[in-house]
Amino acid sequence: MVSRADVSAVEIERRRREEAEAESEEIDRTPVRSYWQLVRRRFRQHRLAVFGAIALVVLALYGIVVPIVTGGAWHQTHLFLPEAPPELFDKDGNFTFAILGYNETGQNLFARLAKATQTSLEIGLAAVLIIVTIGIFIGSIAGYVGGWLDNLMMRFVDVMLSLPALFVILMITAFFGGGNVWVVILAIGITGWTTAARLVRAEFLSLREVDYVQAARALGASPRRIIIRHMLPPALAPIVVAATLGIADSVVVESALSFLGFGLGSQEASLGTMLENAQNYFFSGPLKVVYPGVVLILIVLSASFLGDGLRDALDPRQRIETK
Amino acid sequence: MTGTRAGAGPLLEIRSLKTYFFTQDGTVKAVDDISFQIAHGQTLGVVGESGCGKSITSLSVMRLIDRPGKIVDGQVLLNGVDLLTKSDDDMRDVRGDQMSMIFQEPMTSLNPVFTCGDQIAEAVQQHSTMGRREAWERAVEMLRLVGIPDAKRRATEHPHELSGGMRQRVMIAMALSTDPDLLIADEPTTALDVTIQAQILELMRSLREKNRMAIMLITHDLGVVAEMADEVVVMYAGKIVERGDVKTIFGAPHHPYTQGLLRSIPRLDARVDRLEVIKGTVPSPLNLPTGCLFKRRCPQRMAICDVAPPVRDLGRDHVSRCWLTPEGEPPEVGAETKGAEAEEAAEALTVGAR
Amino acid sequence: MADQTDQTDQAEAPAHVLTSAERTTARGGSATGPLLKVENLVKHFDIRGGLLGVTKLGAVRAVDGVSFTVNEGETLGLVGESGCGKTTLGKVILRLIPETSGEVEFEGRQLFHLNAKEMKAARRDIQVVFQDPYSSLNPRMSVGEIVGEGLFVHGMTNRKEREAAVRDLLKKVGLNQQHIHRYPHEFSGGQRQRIGIARALALRPKFIVCDEPVSALDVSIQSQVLNLMGDLQDEFQLTYLFIAHNLAVVKHLSSRVGVMYLGKLVELSDADELYESPRHPYTKALLSAIPIPDPTVRRERIVLKGDLPSPANPPSGCRFHTRCPMAQEICSVEEPPLRDVGGGHLSACHFAEDVSPLREVAAS
Repeated sequence: MVSRADVSAVEIERRRREEAEAESEEIDRTPVRSYWQLVRRRFRQHRLAVFGAIALVVLALYGIVVPIVTGGAWHQTHLFLPEAPPELFDKDGNFTFAILGYNETGQNLFARLAKATQTSLEIGLAAVLIIVTIGIFIGSIAGYVGGWLDNLMMRFVDVMLSLPALFVILMITAFFGGGNVWVVILAIGITGWTTAARLVRAEFLSLREVDYVQAARALGASPRRIIIRHMLPPALAPIVVAATLGIADSVVVESALSFLGFGLGSQEASLGTMLENAQNYFFSGPLKVVYPGVVLILIVLSASFLGDGLRDALDPRQRIETK
Repeated sequence: MTGTRAGAGPLLEIRSLKTYFFTQDGTVKAVDDISFQIAHGQTLGVVGESGCGKSITSLSVMRLIDRPGKIVDGQVLLNGVDLLTKSDDDMRDVRGDQMSMIFQEPMTSLNPVFTCGDQIAEAVQQHSTMGRREAWERAVEMLRLVGIPDAKRRATEHPHELSGGMRQRVMIAMALSTDPDLLIADEPTTALDVTIQAQILELMRSLREKNRMAIMLITHDLGVVAEMADEVVVMYAGKIVERGDVKTIFGAPHHPYTQGLLRSIPRLDARVDRLEVIKGTVPSPLNLPTGCLFKRRCPQRMAICDVAPPVRDLGRDHVSRCWLTPEGEPPEVGAETKGAEAEEAAEALTVGAR
Repeated sequence: MADQTDQTDQAEAPAHVLTSAERTTARGGSATGPLLKVENLVKHFDIRGGLLGVTKLGAVRAVDGVSFTVNEGETLGLVGESGCGKTTLGKVILRLIPETSGEVEFEGRQLFHLNAKEMKAARRDIQVVFQDPYSSLNPRMSVGEIVGEGLFVHGMTNRKEREAAVRDLLKKVGLNQQHIHRYPHEFSGGQRQRIGIARALALRPKFIVCDEPVSALDVSIQSQVLNLMGDLQDEFQLTYLFIAHNLAVVKHLSSRVGVMYLGKLVELSDADELYESPRHPYTKALLSAIPIPDPTVRRERIVLKGDLPSPANPPSGCRFHTRCPMAQEICSVEEPPLRDVGGGHLSACHFAEDVSPLREVAAS
């Protein structure tokens, strides 16, 4: 038996390299792919999610571009054009964008729908921003600190969850004056953060015990660095998913509010106000319900497809085992 | 209760079984042209590292392969009847009746909402004409048989109330309740501690004797195989590289992979300064080498290894998929032989149907 | 009451451990005295309940009064089955989880009394290698970032400098330097474990806690990683606390081995001696339960009755008495101290002298 000390460093080095050599051979056959490259790859494999992403981009462009191009057309009334059918050019030969015709007050439906899409998406995005901010704040503190603080915060979340959200939102908008976009956004935001907080907390709680976080602590990394570098990035994945789905939720809530008359004023254009307005003319002009309805359904479906796709794509456990 | 027990012929015979997985990145040949037999009352150990296809083999025998996997070719003969041509309904009768399976993690195959007794009783009822009460009594009896103390009370408990070792016993009780001819055990003790593993192995051994049951034991633990198996199949990258009697495989292994595997495990009864190793790692199933699958890691690699090696008959039911002669020398045709000449040699050296 | 007996038992233990250490022929190590000294370490996990979860309902006694020393350059193996507290012990020593009581002394300094700054400095010397090659590497970081994390945290902020150091480390653990920009998911289990070892090595530590470093690996990869760990120990004069459940693996690397059962150290001795003549019935049962990869050899097999009792409610007296084939009346009443049963061989059994070595029986 050769004693360990007799084996020279050079010899050990040689053996070590030999032992690992075949392994590197194996890995060299695969191209370098970062985590995000894999995420993109997995996302592209999810056809519905790609569809959702494209649909949302198209809707957003519609909501942004058309109101700019058409100017005030969305609220301009034309007394002589109530319920007029689609017409592309007015009598002077100018392009009118009235692809979908006019409503009962002679407003250009195509332009109005664009403005409504814009408003609804804005409300959805802003509300989700509030939801995510509060959610990350509460959730990460509860999850990282743990103990009684965690318990206290989570019981508060339970209380929040036990309240019927729509009722609370109605109360808030009724109190602070409906019709204001910001009141609606705030109402949706401060009632909706609980799920996000729970997600973040659960993620932090389990991440605290994960070996690579423990390893970072063993290396002497500060709590700040651990949270920012090792815990927030993986915790962000479920948040992004929740936020995507949250947009859909918020848009629906806004529509419901406006439909019930507690949201935006009927002069404003949002998917909710358009629906509310259209119900009076359901039999004379059913298409007026269909247009905002279709957009609403498109937003909700696209967002949840996108959310599903992101969930799969961002999950590193979904390894592409077979390279 | 059991099916007809044919006196002659093997209990299970697998002929050129191929199970492939069709993934987006390509076809994974998880099990590629595998043939072996298990006689009545025999224990066959299937060993190999993760990804070698040993578990897929057992699932293929049970016909439990789901998409994207598919059994593309071959025969699985149980008592001479091909299971692969049976209808799904007929197959359900075979499973649990003529053959049963136990898994590494018992919780995945026990239903958490039913009591252990109920689950065993249901399995019994499914494969017999027994009534409810009779089946329950059989369940309690089975639990007693697998060494669960206070079996009557335990039968009324749910799986989560039991420890890991106890759960594995319940699984074995359930698998054996219908008195199968063949028990397929997929890493039955891997999740257990050594002292509990010793209990379970002891139990399997005594039940094997009592029921004259054959066992297909899938494991990565060479110690468990040495202790339990009569015959051993060594798998590597979806193929059988060596098969033989347990004493031959452990005493005089022929294939360089088997040799390397045996030499690389640290032993309790010997102290060495440096362990012998098999260099490198298992090749990606989507990127298998041509010729011998083990050549990249083989210490005795020759030029001829670029051609698929023959399955050599080494006598006494010992076969090895390697170019080396039974004495471990370079092949008769020469180590440098290439192309068609080597292919012909491989064909000539390969053993026949068996 | 029980605590009192505990303390008196443990108070005399370290002295024996020292003598044992002196006669240990640590491989390549110099016996210059203990690098790490663990004294009467206790870790209880409280089981809490109630409205705010602050009411204490009970405690899981994961580690319940453990003392030992690790000498510079040696490998102390720690074996035991799941739930024996070996992993918890490692984490408490690393100060990854807070202790309940007891002391850990590293190079003469009491770790639990260091402030944050001092502890950060001490962490350069004490590192860890984890079991799971998948969860121990951050999937969102490249190999270079993972291995270089410790260097960055300890002030090597120059990117070029860090990358050069990481390349050197990769070479040391047998990885291709070209792979520095690759991500963990592209590597096999064995290679991932090498990355984890490189990360632990980056700060040039003196002491590494290896928590089941090869348990998740395939047989053929296991030996590669074990060899690597042995080589690195020689090259960097490392001291290992090697925690594992596989006795063969532990024996291969360790000069001394401790056996844990339900939060207690029940036996501690020179590795070869432990395997040749165990002095605790639990160790003996553990050894006998290991299947030997040789069908022609059969050893006496002691099959223990029953399951591991819950560490939240351990048995009275000797914790092993419920499953012990040698148990007498006294075992359920009086807790046996960890005592020297000859030549620095420590055993916590009333009948340590009566434990016979394992017999080999002829194969059937």
